[in-house]
Amino acid sequence: MKKLILGICIAQLFLSSHVDAAGISVDAGLTPPEDRWILRTQMRFMQRKDHMNQKMKMYHYPVILAYGLRSNTTLMIRQALVQQKMTMALSEFSDWGFGDLFILGKYKLYRRNTESYTFGMSATLGLEFPTGNDPFTSSTWDATGGFYTSYRRGAWALDANVAYVWNGLMRKHNDTRDPGDELSFDWAIAHQISMGDHARAALAPVLELSYKNYASDDAHGSDVPNTGESIFFLAPGLKCTLSSIILEGLLWVPLWQDQIGTQMEREVGFLIGTRYMF
Amino acid sequence: MKRKILVLLLTLIIFCAHGFSCGPKQKIVTAGDEGTIERRVYEVFGMDCPGCHGGLEKLVEKNQSVLKAEANWEKKQLVVHVRPGAQLSDEDIYDAIVRANFTPGNRIQ
Repeated sequence: MKKLILGICIAQLFLSSHVDAAGISVDAGLTPPEDRWILRTQMRFMQRKDHMNQKMKMYHYPVILAYGLRSNTTLMIRQALVQQKMTMALSEFSDWGFGDLFILGKYKLYRRNTESYTFGMSATLGLEFPTGNDPFTSSTWDATGGFYTSYRRGAWALDANVAYVWNGLMRKHNDTRDPGDELSFDWAIAHQISMGDHARAALAPVLELSYKNYASDDAHGSDVPNTGESIFFLAPGLKCTLSSIILEGLLWVPLWQDQIGTQMEREVGFLIGTRYMF
Repeated sequence: MKRKILVLLLTLIIFCAHGFSCGPKQKIVTAGDEGTIERRVYEVFGMDCPGCHGGLEKLVEKNQSVLKAEANWEKKQLVVHVRPGAQLSDEDIYDAIVRANFTPGNRIQ
């Protein structure tokens, strides 16, 4: 039994390199202005633990560069440095490397700006290439699609987003294992507090609720045991805007989770990041 | 000798004429530059955060006729300083506002 759990833990170390939460999702439905560059850097920390006090810690350091190609089209490219640590009773495994290259396009579907409110809807389509270092590459081409809505009234902002990841569209190697697809729903509320006289700084407490569903991996037409899970996260955070720089922090608290088979459970994680707009 | 005096006189006349023609004109332009910086104020809707102003200011300032643009999300306003003597239509500003994903309101000033 102990060997089985150890095997599962090591397998998870090498298979769970997906970035689970996309970060603060406030204003995701609003596309940036034309000719606007946005450089985002983040540090994301996620951890898992089991009843035998074995831990898996995962650090992601993604760098995202976005450009407003037109007022209705934004292009994004993301690359991440990943570090994973596995702590067991008598041993510790650690590894790091680059994750897969991710390219995403965001398209403005609708935008209405009035004196009292702003409402926007956008759609995304992205592709993840198996370019990372082993074991952080998924060895498959994966596609992402998303639909985002944002509503702002006065100091309040409400967001509702849905995204789907088709994992394993094409395989790099002739692998028999097909990673499961991912479905996520995010709801966010934020309140903006203006600071200073020149309206160039603001502090915004954020509260997010996220649901993630990871389908089981597939091999030879049947589900791979001990893969697949569903989680509800509650994520309080803070967004601080200082003119063209945004500092953000978010804490992921798992409210409810359901893993298929024997898997480590998720623990509290966090995100800290910066955004520079020029 | 007469010829030399004539050449000297002509040179002096040309020099003075050039001095008079350039001197006062330069002075007028400079004085005019300082006095005629036009300040326009536009209403802008959809600009709801402090980080929003930068993208709009960048697009407006791309126009050669604009000296400086300052957006204020709380006042929902864009202030444009027009270069002296430059031609700038309101449509150019409205176009920049739309390309920044905002909606132009009235020109206030």
